[in-house]
Amino acid sequence: MNIRLARIDDCNGMQACNLQNLPENYTMKYYLYHILTWPSLSYVAEDSEGRVVGYILAKMEEELGEEDDPHGHVTSISVLRTYRRLGLAKKLMVQSQEAMAAVYHASYVSLHVRKSNRAALGLYRDTLGFTVKSVEHKYYADGEDAYAMQLSLK
Amino acid sequence: MSRVLGIPPKRALPLKEASLFKEVLTMYEARQLKKGLKTADQILKKFPEHGETMCMKGLILTHMGRREEGIDLVKKGVRLDLTSHICWHVFGLIQKGEKNYEEALKSYIQALRFDKENLNILRDAAHLQTQLRLYDGLVETRHILLRLRPTVRQNWVSLAVAYHLSGNLLEAKKVLEQYERTLKNVPDYDTEHSETTMYHVRLLEELGEFTEALSLLDVSSKSRVIVDKTAIMEARARLLSKLKSDESEHAWRVLIDHNPDCTSYYHGYLASQGIDSDEASLAILRDISSQIPRANAPRRLALSFASGDRFKELAKPYLLSGFTKGIPSLFADIKLLYKDQAKLSQIQALLEEIRAENAPDSAAPSSSTFTSQPTTYLWILYFQAQHFSYLSQFRRALEILDEALKHTPTLPELYTCRARVLKRAGDLFGAARSVEEARLLDGQDRFLNTKSAKYRLRAGLVDEASALLGLFTKKDATSPGADLEDMQSLLYLIEEADAQNRSGKINLALKKYIAIQKVFDEVEDDQYDFHGYSMRKFTINIYLNLLAWEDRLRSHLAYVKAAISASRIFVAVHDDPSIAASLASSGQLTDAEKKAKKKAKKAAQKVQDDSKKGNSQQSSNEDKGLEPTAPKDDDVDGIKLLGCSDPLERAAKFLHPLTTLAPQNIEVWIAVYDVAIRRKKLLQAAKALKHACSIDVENPELHIRLVHVRRTASALPQEPPVPIGPLFKESLLELLPEEVSLETFNSQYLQRHPSSQQAILAAAKVSQMLQAPLQEVENTLFAALGPDAKLDLESSQAILSYLKSLGSQRAEEFRLTCDGKFDLSTVFKSPEEQALLVKQALSVVIGYPDEVEAEA
Repeated sequence: MNIRLARIDDCNGMQACNLQNLPENYTMKYYLYHILTWPSLSYVAEDSEGRVVGYILAKMEEELGEEDDPHGHVTSISVLRTYRRLGLAKKLMVQSQEAMAAVYHASYVSLHVRKSNRAALGLYRDTLGFTVKSVEHKYYADGEDAYAMQLSLK
Repeated sequence: MSRVLGIPPKRALPLKEASLFKEVLTMYEARQLKKGLKTADQILKKFPEHGETMCMKGLILTHMGRREEGIDLVKKGVRLDLTSHICWHVFGLIQKGEKNYEEALKSYIQALRFDKENLNILRDAAHLQTQLRLYDGLVETRHILLRLRPTVRQNWVSLAVAYHLSGNLLEAKKVLEQYERTLKNVPDYDTEHSETTMYHVRLLEELGEFTEALSLLDVSSKSRVIVDKTAIMEARARLLSKLKSDESEHAWRVLIDHNPDCTSYYHGYLASQGIDSDEASLAILRDISSQIPRANAPRRLALSFASGDRFKELAKPYLLSGFTKGIPSLFADIKLLYKDQAKLSQIQALLEEIRAENAPDSAAPSSSTFTSQPTTYLWILYFQAQHFSYLSQFRRALEILDEALKHTPTLPELYTCRARVLKRAGDLFGAARSVEEARLLDGQDRFLNTKSAKYRLRAGLVDEASALLGLFTKKDATSPGADLEDMQSLLYLIEEADAQNRSGKINLALKKYIAIQKVFDEVEDDQYDFHGYSMRKFTINIYLNLLAWEDRLRSHLAYVKAAISASRIFVAVHDDPSIAASLASSGQLTDAEKKAKKKAKKAAQKVQDDSKKGNSQQSSNEDKGLEPTAPKDDDVDGIKLLGCSDPLERAAKFLHPLTTLAPQNIEVWIAVYDVAIRRKKLLQAAKALKHACSIDVENPELHIRLVHVRRTASALPQEPPVPIGPLFKESLLELLPEEVSLETFNSQYLQRHPSSQQAILAAAKVSQMLQAPLQEVENTLFAALGPDAKLDLESSQAILSYLKSLGSQRAEEFRLTCDGKFDLSTVFKSPEEQALLVKQALSVVIGYPDEVEAEA
């Protein structure tokens, strides 16, 4: 699998991949907004025929509290079920994190995960080293709580 | 919005009202809509004919959601004061909100006539010019903006971008260089300046000035002007390669260390060393592999370069490691090597070997010193099944999967694999059943959910698919499909449209194809906001890529498929308008569809009620924006759409982008022909056929059109006028020489393609067009099942439905023969048999949640 920076023409593939994998979906403009604002932060994994099989859609947090350091945020990350066990999520995350630190001096990266999504929670905590910082009550549209997780980049 | 001097008398207001008007403008800018409205009314009470106030009131009302009333006022206001820039600006804003960019630009240009230096209007005009790709006008507008505000940084960059887009790279470079000279004290790590400098590097690269580009890159990275390290490394390696520099090798190697999973870095690295033998490439890849053991790319790439014994040597550990780790995508990864027949055979032999060594009851000594895990054996079987499915040995693949399932009945991948094999073999119902079994093993997984729904759609089980999809779509959506449509799921839209199309519900199919067209319209509109946004952010490179991508947007496969299928439906209803009428009266909706329709109606009603509420509650200050809310859909089942008065024009519009975006697709040209010839656009029709001929002159569908065009020409009531007539005649002669009779042309075609089922079908259709007796047509078609014919499922299916459409008595005979010939396939089963299979396919629904049952 090929891991590389996401280009504009990957947005179709990223959107399709997201719709197949996750219940949180976005219209195209949201993907465009990410890539056009932070062109160095989102990555894709593609198969040998150029199909997007995994992606990380990432940004820098824009609304910083007074005490808060600049930090990155993972809006969405997923890998097609048929392309799991290759460590793609980790590889995507690592590339994105390096760019957050190098380009924007991010001191940490944050993300949200559904309380019920044990598989993702395991990935973020055990494989990627994130820790749960807080619980955000009714974060999702259907009323489910989210864990707010963080990983230090220092 | 600034006022201008030299006010005409009808615009002039007394001091009190003039200051009130200023307040209206300020209140509007601050979106204090209610106050603004009140103040405007105060002026209009005394001066009911004051155009500018009327326009502002209309604009405010539109923002408040009282759209119709507001727009009426704006139009009236413009008419009352045709030389006011405010009136034209407001009108332009309204048109822009309706995404009528061309008309909006016209209004803006009017506004600029009366207020040449209005910055807001100039900026909006620039965005409209970009959206409409009017780049010469854009350069002009950006020039004015820069002249008016030379200290604003983005005005410089915007002018450079305008030149770039208009194709004048040299001028873009000049502007950028001038801009850079004006810069003082740029702080370190300024991302905006970094992006601008990266754009400068790109500009030089596109101009072919590689040395200059490289030196700018190097200087700017050393001085920390450019902060994006990955971008620096990539540009550096690329430029050094273009300069054929010795340093390029090192530059690519650095990239590999930075991201060892990016395959293009390896290609760059190998190319930079001028490697000409596979042996040398393999040696290099081996070196990298030992230095970066965790990287998969060099090991996989080696398999592409190696051959013979060397291939076997490398392939075995590669496969074994995949089996041990249980990597589901291993076959997808390997199958690209199968283009090489020798490698295919080697893998097949290796599989036997590895399977024997790892079989649980194996007596053969294992080559590895470790005892093999039971899951390893499972993944070997999984791979082997896909291998035989690839070779169309479906029975064998199924046997292997049966063994695997006996071994481990709880692995969803085995069921999805089985489903894929069955689908390829033509057992769509069995496939749907099998993938549903997979889904039930992991109901939390949307991937399996999507797959199961997709297979149901393939099997024509539309309602049942919808019930599954609803497990993951928003609960407050009118239907699962409505949510997926909102979320722009092209996969869903195309699968559902095709499923409806296959089952003859072309109204519902058309509705979904049009929904696909709308998604692409939306994405085209999406770029609008970035014309301003990206200039403010200075992310120029990616913005230029956005524009290039938008220009090619509709080359996407989903659009191509939708355009072709929709145009076929439009052509069909044009040829036979009774189809639309009979679908309208047949009341073909299933229960689920009726329920969905009812729900949609209710939701639409609610929207209406809400907006009415907005009307009566004048107190609301909420800004509803200038974009119209989606009108209520009063044609949920697409019957009105199907019966539209201009089907051919709609088809032509749908297809139009593809003549430049997919010119190598023969189906596009055939569809263009079908529409053009019916619209009496003779030259366009002939040109389409000429394109098709240049792609594949023997294409069966093209064969039918070549006969069709000749017959259409000879049936014309009168010679078309000069120059069209002679030109059309001339191009016909190029397509098909006049001395050949159509019967001969057809029989020669059939003789050239005796074994192709598609060609046989085409020839039969032509015979029928030439009024051959039914028996002769049937005989031609039955040759498709003869000993020489190469059978394929889809063509046989097409022949069967053609026989049925002719009312042939022999259709049943054809079906039964096919049923015998296509092992495993359920496509040719009788309706009764199929009903039973559907029941079986759906009987796995043990874990079905109650709420879905209730909802559906």
